[in-house]
Amino acid sequence: MSRIEAKKPSLCTNDPLTKERVSFSLSVFSGIVQSCYGPTGRLKQLHNGMGGYVRTTSQSSALLGGLSITHPALKILTASVRNHISRFSDCGLFTAILCCSLVEHFQRINFATCTVTKISRHLLSLCTDYLKSEACGCRVSVDFDSIKTLLSLVRSILASKPACMLNKTEANHLSTLVLKAFLLTIPHTIETNVVLGKCVIIPVKDKRVMDSTVFPGLLIEIPEFQLARTFPIKRVSSSTIKMALFCISMSGDLSSIGEGTVIVHHGISLEVAVLDQLLNLGKQLVNDQVGLVVCQKVIHPSLKQYLKEHCVITIDRVGVSMMEPLSQMTGSQPIAALHSVSPTCYGSLKDLRTESFVSKHFLHLIPNDTLVCSLILCNRNEMAWDELKLACQTAEHVLQLTIKQPLALLGGGCTETHLASYIRHKSFTLPTSVLKAIDCSRTQYQLVADAFCRSLECVACCLEHDDGEILTDMVYGHFWSVQSGFPSDCNWSDLVLKCGCGIYNNQQNLNWTVLRSQCIPFAPQSCSNEPSINSTDHLVLDCFTAKCSGLQVAVETANLILDLSYIVEDQN
Amino acid sequence: MASQRLRTQRRAVSMASAASLDLGRLVQEAEALASAVRGALGPRGGQVLVTRPTGETLLTRDGRRVLEALNLGPPTARMIVACVSSHQSMTGDGAKTFIILLSKLLRGLQAILDKREGSPFCEDQRSKRDQKHCHSLKQISQSLLTFQTHILDHIMAQDLRKHFLSAFSSWEGEIGRDTMESILEAYFCGRIGNSHQKLLSQLTCDFYYRCIPFINGKNEMLDLVNEYFVELHSAVTGLPVSNSRILEGLVLHRDFAVYCPADGDIRLLIVTESIDSALSPSGLEFVVNAEVQYQASQVWITKRTEAIMKHLQNNNIKVLLSSVKQQEIVIYYAKISGISVVECLSSEEISLLCRTTGISPFIPTQDNICSEISETMIAKFCQPLVLGSKRYVHLGLTRTCAFEPHCVIFCGPVHGVTEQHASAFHGAFKMLQQLFKAVDLSDGCEAQPENTNNTSKTVHCSWQQSATQQKFIMENISCNREKVYDQQLKTSMAETEKQFIDSSSWVDENPSCNQTDLQKSSDLAMPLVKLESDFMFSALIDRGSSVKELQKPPLKCKHPSEMWVMNNSEPVVNYQRICNDAMTAIENTSVSKQLDAAQEYWKPGNPIVPFKYEKSYKHTVQSYTNLVIQAGSVLPVGGNFEILLHYYLHSYAKQCQQPKITLISTVIADALLSIPKILYRTTKENSFTQVYFKATSALQTKQQLPMHQQGLESVYCKYQLVASVLHCLTKLLTVDLIIGIKRPPQKTEVNDSEDDL
Repeated sequence: MSRIEAKKPSLCTNDPLTKERVSFSLSVFSGIVQSCYGPTGRLKQLHNGMGGYVRTTSQSSALLGGLSITHPALKILTASVRNHISRFSDCGLFTAILCCSLVEHFQRINFATCTVTKISRHLLSLCTDYLKSEACGCRVSVDFDSIKTLLSLVRSILASKPACMLNKTEANHLSTLVLKAFLLTIPHTIETNVVLGKCVIIPVKDKRVMDSTVFPGLLIEIPEFQLARTFPIKRVSSSTIKMALFCISMSGDLSSIGEGTVIVHHGISLEVAVLDQLLNLGKQLVNDQVGLVVCQKVIHPSLKQYLKEHCVITIDRVGVSMMEPLSQMTGSQPIAALHSVSPTCYGSLKDLRTESFVSKHFLHLIPNDTLVCSLILCNRNEMAWDELKLACQTAEHVLQLTIKQPLALLGGGCTETHLASYIRHKSFTLPTSVLKAIDCSRTQYQLVADAFCRSLECVACCLEHDDGEILTDMVYGHFWSVQSGFPSDCNWSDLVLKCGCGIYNNQQNLNWTVLRSQCIPFAPQSCSNEPSINSTDHLVLDCFTAKCSGLQVAVETANLILDLSYIVEDQN
Repeated sequence: MASQRLRTQRRAVSMASAASLDLGRLVQEAEALASAVRGALGPRGGQVLVTRPTGETLLTRDGRRVLEALNLGPPTARMIVACVSSHQSMTGDGAKTFIILLSKLLRGLQAILDKREGSPFCEDQRSKRDQKHCHSLKQISQSLLTFQTHILDHIMAQDLRKHFLSAFSSWEGEIGRDTMESILEAYFCGRIGNSHQKLLSQLTCDFYYRCIPFINGKNEMLDLVNEYFVELHSAVTGLPVSNSRILEGLVLHRDFAVYCPADGDIRLLIVTESIDSALSPSGLEFVVNAEVQYQASQVWITKRTEAIMKHLQNNNIKVLLSSVKQQEIVIYYAKISGISVVECLSSEEISLLCRTTGISPFIPTQDNICSEISETMIAKFCQPLVLGSKRYVHLGLTRTCAFEPHCVIFCGPVHGVTEQHASAFHGAFKMLQQLFKAVDLSDGCEAQPENTNNTSKTVHCSWQQSATQQKFIMENISCNREKVYDQQLKTSMAETEKQFIDSSSWVDENPSCNQTDLQKSSDLAMPLVKLESDFMFSALIDRGSSVKELQKPPLKCKHPSEMWVMNNSEPVVNYQRICNDAMTAIENTSVSKQLDAAQEYWKPGNPIVPFKYEKSYKHTVQSYTNLVIQAGSVLPVGGNFEILLHYYLHSYAKQCQQPKITLISTVIADALLSIPKILYRTTKENSFTQVYFKATSALQTKQQLPMHQQGLESVYCKYQLVASVLHCLTKLLTVDLIIGIKRPPQKTEVNDSEDDL
């Protein structure tokens, strides 16, 4: 700062949640995230008035990154949702909607905020205990022997992003591809420290989605003229190619000299000296029967020429992001010395091929043990491609989380309604000792529990955007939706088809009522014994870890926001 | 000539703007500040959200942070905030209570001044209105000073002391786990609120007990933890708070540059320079005569690095910890030799490692390349750790010094929450550190009951009494306290052989009061240094220096951290002081009979022991007592201190003869009630009126106070708070004129004192 300025006094707000400014911004934000939720959600277009990047999206990571929020209470909300997304990649919208509706509903309760937050924390502990218990009625265990549940998981994720513009066959095809790519990253040999490999996504736009493919190994893009000069290649044996990986610059530059001065006498050229060294290195590589030389930085053209004459392929400027997958895949160690290279640093490949897509040309490195795979992702236009890439990365992350904890929750709104009916039932049958421990009365507890369940049901209701009617059944507590335009005297049982997650259909004699209407609390039954879980392909499932953590983060953030008694904003 | 000078003077004065202090405006400012923090007071209070100029948001209940973030304009308001900050840095807590009490006191004083007649402060009818106003303010501030230095201590010593509890469970001064938890819970309730306070207090307890290497090593451990707290904790966002935990060993906030898993004992080495040597280091010149020479030099450098790494491998080094970035070639050879490398560690982490392991960094030179490396350390494990989205290094060290290495991971949904928890955790450890700090004080007194009161401000004055004087005091117990007090004051000042009697040196009806004195539980050594610069303190220093003159024996009133020398052969007794949260351990090297008596009352296993005074009187009369500074005075939380002080101040005011002091006492007593009013404002069952009624009825029947809530708080802290508030008030009220000065034009144009009254 070149000038010393007087500091402006800060803007202070007392009891912020009662002010218009907060409730208005909160309702606007809540409207935005609620309308994006689910496979029938509406898209949002983000752009600034100066002509920057335009983004059409319905996913929370892109949406929250693009919105600029000024009010501090809302900033807390978006910050905590974004932190959750960076941890789990999924259930971002769920967390945001739940948090907003909790704040809204809890604000209407008239007694002291600290009691409300205490009770809501207790309710949260009830929820998490139920979800983690064996008798949980809304979770399914993921069986790794059959891929049906995994496939359902991936398909639910891909299908819930409407901006990708996938139809059913495309969604099926892509989910198979994503699952295949994930399975390729699992190493064959299991040691103590299992490290999953990487899936590199390669963009190809302006092609049909059905043209997407998965390749084991790495695809490195090369310019067209190099394509012709690739073969023949030196092989050690028919199925092994030796590879050397360099992480320093082989361009002959004199960067690593030091901070002092170097005095060079007249007539001496350091560049020639370095080039001599490089050519010696090349000789050594040729003697060691190396077939492929990959360098992170630039290779000197004379060296390239020399190696090419001896049938050694060179790839340079691969960049630092490729170094780890390359070394993981081939077992080669990045070499940092230009002389005295030890032969233990070389790696091996199974085969080398060339591939071409649209106008791009790739060198395909096929390893012995596929830890790394490349997913060629195609989509019609750039906007849809961006969404699809995000969705595929989310799916990969969810699969990694599922490996750690092989459980999945029922999707399609069924978990939320099931949980809400469970909490309602539990809050009626709570023993007085628990109430004493929390230090509240039974009426207070039930008021807060009612508000909590309403918020959960509100989240489930956000899945319906087309004015349909939402029902719940009185046996399992699942989510049923009915399309609009039905005559008013029909029986519910004639109109419903399937529940939100797809387990139950209308063949069973279930008692349906409209969601959010007053009803007698009942203990919802478990669905884990259903035979249809393993037989149907079309279950809608959600990631267990992400959703549990999202629930916790939403309740904690809502408590934080309700607890604010004063806001001080620095205006400088 | 003279007129010209006068004119220039007048012009100079007119350049600056001046205004006299307006009490009404002061009240408004104080009340505005109080309303900012009122909502966050107590365990039922809410949080305050503060945004920094960088856009970062901070959630806090810390009154000091809130007030400092307000960026206030008026200079008097800034002065108030400065007082709050200095109090908080002294005691670590209590900023909100400070400002609320201050605003209520100002309001009460304004009400006094508004009364035209009947006020003892507006006696002088002759002077003009402005002057009268200033004069009455001056009188008020003087009365406040008198009150704070004499009467407050007296009331504390006399009346409140019988309600105090002690937190030590045994004579040796160890804290039981339950007591520690209850203190920490009360502390965290105020700092964080009801949400996660149980979790954090358990975490703090766990950390404390796990880090202590042996029984008496807690001071060093606390020093280390406080110094290196930044390196001993990590924060993860995006996870629920219940995931916070303690990990064994240290977490280094860097990832492995190269990781080679190793089993068994892992030897590690610390380096602070680059292992690879450059061709031409700074300050040197490298002359190239031939190309072959250049090539050979490069080869030599590479070979040297390889040789060093091979040497490390031969010495079984498995982990290299470097504070600088190592070259690629070092990483390459490390990978070949199977050595894991962590680079770019911060210098604080390196110094923490050196302190914990006791080794110093290794510098590869020509000599030690061939010999065995001695500066290594064995680690139990060294592995990567994933926290959130970052990868760190988890190092398991064995203990070589007074610290079992553990570290804390704080989880939370947003960065503001983790930061709040981390700073509260740090504050708790600071508080514990103050708790165990020993300030050596020994008060010598011969015969009888004297309570040398260590106020935080007074330098200790102990006094000796001759037997006559003792009797004199004893006889006067039943008389009007004020008179005796004044008399004593006069006599001590007048007569040189009589000692200066400190204000709180009172003999109580319960003659056993000599057992302890009121514990001023703040850290004495630290704040006194700051206080010495304060003008209020100079008045007390004067008192202290006068004591030096008066005393015959070599009793010196020194800085309390120095030893007190008793005037005869009494053994020197050391006392540990209470600091922030009111526990002191009594470490008596000599056990006087009185202490023996007191020891009976320390039943092991009883976490809280009320002081009993009755029996020890007989012993104390004969014995050469060493004043035991009260160990561990605590009170149950929930406004008990304020209610007690309010009650006793009112009863004192009824018997007080001086009208000014009576008025001041009444004002202060009423203002004190505002704190419990806010604490209980949201409860319905235990509302403030009910609590107040129960407490006063218990006090009138001379019983102990009913305890409503769990948790303990320090008495000294509370006392210190009241004293500091009065102190600040006195400072404010003596301000006569506020002058805003423009800066000279050649420096900068904008001045920042334009915005004053």
